[in-house]
Amino acid sequence: MNDDPYSELVRDLFAQPAHAGAIDGAVTAHVDDQGVRIRLYAELEGGIVSKLRFQAWACPHVIAAAEAFCADFEGRPAADLLEFSSSDLMKSLAVPVEKTGRILVLEDAVRSLGNAACGASKPDTEED
Amino acid sequence: MVYLDYAASTPVDPGVLEAMTAAMTVQGNYANPSSTHSAGRESVEMIARAAEQAASLLNTNPDRLVWTSGATESDNLAIFGAAHYRSDRGRHIVTMRTEHKAVTDPFSQLAKQGFDVTWLDAEPDGRLNIDTLSGALRDDTQFVSVMHVNNETGTIQDIAAIGEQCRERDIIFHVDAAQSCGKLPIDLSELPVDLMSMTAHKFYGPKGIGALYIAERKGVHVEPLLFGGGQQRRLRPGTLPTQQIVGFGATAQLAASRMNADLTHLSALRERFWAGIKDVPGVMINGSLEHSFPGILNVSVEDIEGESLLLALEPLCVATGSACNSKTQEPSYVLRALGRSDELAQSAIRFSFGRPTTEAEVDTAIRLYRDGITRLHRLAPGQAA
Repeated sequence: MNDDPYSELVRDLFAQPAHAGAIDGAVTAHVDDQGVRIRLYAELEGGIVSKLRFQAWACPHVIAAAEAFCADFEGRPAADLLEFSSSDLMKSLAVPVEKTGRILVLEDAVRSLGNAACGASKPDTEED
Repeated sequence: MVYLDYAASTPVDPGVLEAMTAAMTVQGNYANPSSTHSAGRESVEMIARAAEQAASLLNTNPDRLVWTSGATESDNLAIFGAAHYRSDRGRHIVTMRTEHKAVTDPFSQLAKQGFDVTWLDAEPDGRLNIDTLSGALRDDTQFVSVMHVNNETGTIQDIAAIGEQCRERDIIFHVDAAQSCGKLPIDLSELPVDLMSMTAHKFYGPKGIGALYIAERKGVHVEPLLFGGGQQRRLRPGTLPTQQIVGFGATAQLAASRMNADLTHLSALRERFWAGIKDVPGVMINGSLEHSFPGILNVSVEDIEGESLLLALEPLCVATGSACNSKTQEPSYVLRALGRSDELAQSAIRFSFGRPTTEAEVDTAIRLYRDGITRLHRLAPGQAA
């Protein structure tokens, strides 16, 4: 009757967001929509996302999703950011369907970060 | 766990539980009070004693109380019962936007039935301006409902002044006293109140038992909502729950003896808590400290997401809005009515203190609130450039 709205995973990620914070001089993306503000930071090394950080003004599900995204995408090619879909996170974090819009704000932020990251890494590639 | 949600519910006092047990087990008396045998008559006597205890708390006659399942039922019985009883006099009814859902929803329902509802705005501190009320009353106004203590902000309404306005115009005045009965002095022999709703579980009694006071005054009456027996003068039929009523009575007796001590205790706790958080950047009180019940402090803070704040505060048990609508996660309509933005209303936390609350628990709450705010402020990005 009194269901806990948060899964254990959401509670853990919300309580210990290891990737919370900012990176000076990094590629960034900021989205403000649906009552959610997210800023993502990516540090790149040779087209690879070497470090991700996030800041969020959002509900616990979005904060947990941002943390999970950062943990998952460090070490992957920047181009992967453009393929990010929030549907897997929705399932693994058991995000209630009424919060879909908020999680999609994260998806928008990641794609925006992907565009910025790919744009940022392209000139280096051309110079090589 | 630190429980600071006493406005939502309170623990049953051990003495109250003992009295209730004696009215429901084989060692005591569990008979149906409608039965005519000796055990049934003893149940009737137990109920009569409880009514005396409740009436004594409110300084009224026990015959003026109708037992219900709680404040929501009492509110419904008062609002529907009186509005329909007096509908030949007029169909204009008045209440405030900041009332509990147990009042606003019946008013909305009556609007669908053709009643003309005026929704009064509160002042920024939550109180009703008497001039606002008198300006809204009309020749066809037949019913006014204003709560005594607001369940979200603790704001105390001047029910004596409001009642005077109603009496001058022979308008029935109903008061939802769910948050004040047993907590603040109420003298129904003096107050110009016609109907008053109460519930036991807000002041250390059991859930599932409430009462409606009906004044002995010409024209004051309610039509029943339930039918099916002759109990309680047919106003609220059904087998009387002896143990619940005994619980209400014992709760009332205890409250009468402890009220001053409780108020002193709660005032000190609230003062301590506010002193511990008032320098948090952007924090503000919803309502006021001056005209409010000392057991409740509702605070908002700028630039904080409310749902995350609530989770960050665990293991504190506090409320974002009233317990009855907190699952919606929507900004409180009460705070919105007081002029708070959606964002500020959503960041609101209601801390409510109780008889068992200790200074150490208040200090823990201060620490958790400050830490939670600091953590969420650090986590939040600035506005986009």
